[in-house]
Amino acid sequence: MDVSQYLEIFIDETAEHIQSLSDNIMALENEPEDHDVINEIFRAAHSLKGMAGTMGFKRMQHLTHDMENVFQEVRNDKIKVNGDIIDVLFQCLDAIEGYLNIIKETSDEGTNDNEGIIAALNGILNGNTAPAVKEVPAASPEEKTAHPEDAAAGAHGKKYLAIGLSEAEREMLKNAEDSGKVLFGFTVYVQKECLLKAARAFLVFKAIEEFGEIVVYQPSAQDIEDEKFDLDFSFIITSDEEGVDKFLSAAKAVSEIEDVFGEQIKYEMLVDTASKEKEHEEEKAVSQEAAAPAVAAPASVQAKGEPAKSAGSAAATTKGKPVNKPVANRTVRVDIEKLDALMNQVSELIIAKNSLVSISSSDSGDGTQSQSFRDQIEYLERITTSLHESVMKARMVPIESVVAKFPRMIRDLSRKLDKKMELYMSGEDTELDRTVVDQIGDPLQHLLRNSADHGLESAELRKERGKPEVGSINLKAYQEGNNVVIEVGDDGNGIDTETVKRKAVERGLVTPEQAENLSQKEIIDFLFMPSFSMAKKITDVSGRGVGLDVVKSNIETLGGDVEVKSKLGEGSTFIVRLPLTLAIIQALLVEVHHELFAIALGSIITIEDVPVSEIKYVQAEEVINLRGNVIPLIRLNEILEIDEPENEPESLTVVIVNKGEKQAGLVVDNLLGQQEIVIKSLGKFISNSKIISGATILGDGEIALILDVNTLM
Amino acid sequence: MEYIETTEATKKQYIVVKIGSEQYGIDISYIDNIVRMQKITRVPTSQFYFKGVINLRGEVIPVMSIRRKMGLEDDVYTGASRIIILKFEQKDALGIVVDEVKEVINLGPDEIDKLSHSSREAKEMFINGIGKNGDELVSLFDINAIIDEHETV
Repeated sequence: MDVSQYLEIFIDETAEHIQSLSDNIMALENEPEDHDVINEIFRAAHSLKGMAGTMGFKRMQHLTHDMENVFQEVRNDKIKVNGDIIDVLFQCLDAIEGYLNIIKETSDEGTNDNEGIIAALNGILNGNTAPAVKEVPAASPEEKTAHPEDAAAGAHGKKYLAIGLSEAEREMLKNAEDSGKVLFGFTVYVQKECLLKAARAFLVFKAIEEFGEIVVYQPSAQDIEDEKFDLDFSFIITSDEEGVDKFLSAAKAVSEIEDVFGEQIKYEMLVDTASKEKEHEEEKAVSQEAAAPAVAAPASVQAKGEPAKSAGSAAATTKGKPVNKPVANRTVRVDIEKLDALMNQVSELIIAKNSLVSISSSDSGDGTQSQSFRDQIEYLERITTSLHESVMKARMVPIESVVAKFPRMIRDLSRKLDKKMELYMSGEDTELDRTVVDQIGDPLQHLLRNSADHGLESAELRKERGKPEVGSINLKAYQEGNNVVIEVGDDGNGIDTETVKRKAVERGLVTPEQAENLSQKEIIDFLFMPSFSMAKKITDVSGRGVGLDVVKSNIETLGGDVEVKSKLGEGSTFIVRLPLTLAIIQALLVEVHHELFAIALGSIITIEDVPVSEIKYVQAEEVINLRGNVIPLIRLNEILEIDEPENEPESLTVVIVNKGEKQAGLVVDNLLGQQEIVIKSLGKFISNSKIISGATILGDGEIALILDVNTLM
Repeated sequence: MEYIETTEATKKQYIVVKIGSEQYGIDISYIDNIVRMQKITRVPTSQFYFKGVINLRGEVIPVMSIRRKMGLEDDVYTGASRIIILKFEQKDALGIVVDEVKEVINLGPDEIDKLSHSSREAKEMFINGIGKNGDELVSLFDINAIIDEHETV
């Protein structure tokens, strides 16, 4: 079977299962007795195994199979979960993730057998050998339905011989045969590209039923109708006449049928295979037993455990797929490019709408314009705005997909660093643009490592300071206006600004005199400089000085910024602010000496009229005192290389903007109002000093450049 | 008939434009569009030879002054001034300002004198050949040199 077209789905679903396993194993560690969790784990492990099998990833399947065995034992209360087992299980998850990463890159699982982990898994089973051996056959309900197909798991086969028969069905077949009817078994393979498998199956049944009665279906008639089968289905019919050829030709006459196998059969043949099937199960159990004690087990399992493995692969086709697809949440995976295209169209619509708005507002003088025209434009405006919102929402994903791996990471760090810590997360359902979510993982991970390694003190020190022994790390996400804020905080030592200052002086970044005058914030900013590590010793967790600067630049490329709040002895919090959207923003249009500029509304605090007489000077820089805050003035015309107006007006229009806690006042000539603008890139040819982050096209076709407030401060 | 076709195939089409008193040829395969002069929005702090950006049917396209880049005196816009929009496979579009667009010509290899970059004269850094169009000579622009970052000082 060509499975390459399923590879993407496989990768996505495997990642989901790994995540769910990871979450649940964490939960299991806290509550080893929770059966719901164990069942959930078992299901995920089982699906993983099945999927790996279907895709032909033998090593991955092997590993997941052994992992499943362990869960099986846990589920049956034969093994008690303890920290060591959890460790092995996590190693196991990492290994599976390793396979997945290799598969992502090469479409192949690579050559790592992970024998050590398999041996460890078997070791766990082994610690419990007796029940383990007994219990494996108990796994058969899971595999029984799957197993029969195993007999024909090759490319094509007579799977009808391996139909699992219920008592009633056996009875019926036996009676039919006794009463002189003839039994036929058939397996029908539909073509891979067949779109309406259920319809084809129906046509086959209809053709067959001209000559006889179908008594047994595999999979069940209902499943066939619901298209819950892969590429083949089998059935057994009873007929009054001999001769298989007319059935075969009737079935093959249905289009999109790849092949049909069938022959006259005897009741014993069916029963025989059923009992063989049992033997298979037992053989498998034996092979498990043999495999368990041996450290270099994989080889023997590979050889003897064959039935078990192919059972897994069949399990995927019959069980794996229906089990995990439909229930959870009803979603459609959409290629991000399609959303991008939709987004672009919405952008154009907004531009068109803006130009209508500007027409409607410009020639209102002659009074010819009817009220209804303006109404319609308002209506259009509402529609485009909500359409824009919907498209944006379609691109939004909860940050959960990124942060879900963190509890596990903190647990590992806790062990590695030998510090007790607990991660508290909130706001995992906060949503961000897909592209932002994809890239925010690494920076957040780094901040968390930072908190765990540098932030939290050792247990002794914590006790000394009267803090709870278990350190806490907080990850909090929430929406704030047009931004999403993610805070990573700890209740550890906080940043020792004196040490940072000393280090900055040592490095020659500032003179000792300058250092004395630095504000706390300016000192903390040193931490974001390249290769400025504060760790006294380099651990493999962090401390190489290639961290915070990368975090900062990563976040800035996403249009966000980082801020730090810290109190020595009480802990520190890194506040990451990210824009909700990347393409369309609300902006204030301003005029500076007849040139138009847009300033993102999100960074504007207020707009003030400031009399020239109120401008003060601090260190030869212009500042204003706004309700007790001293705010530096930025003359936009100077920065933007615009000639100064000849006669300065008596009062200035000042747009007060902020970046984190820093504020500045931008001096503009005129305010033109607020507008929804579509951000366009200036292209790669023009380079400028980052002051201009892009351009937008206004309703009248004019271009306004977008000022990046962050670079001005 | 056949003879003509084969020569047509090896010939390249150029658009002849006028900048100052000289004629220049631009390989037509780079040209996306030719538009009339329109309002150019200045971009502060950009390279001096960029005039700014224009709005071309909803796209923001940077416009370069080829005169400034070649070290000639600044453009004087007239009714004949045009912006030629060049399109590149990987990079975005780019507009260049010319004084006048004259005609389209076909030049075969034998009608082009390749130019080695021996000349130190600034404006010839952007020329990679001289085409003979009847009695007139047309300097052929090296488009890659034009979009190249480095400029005449």
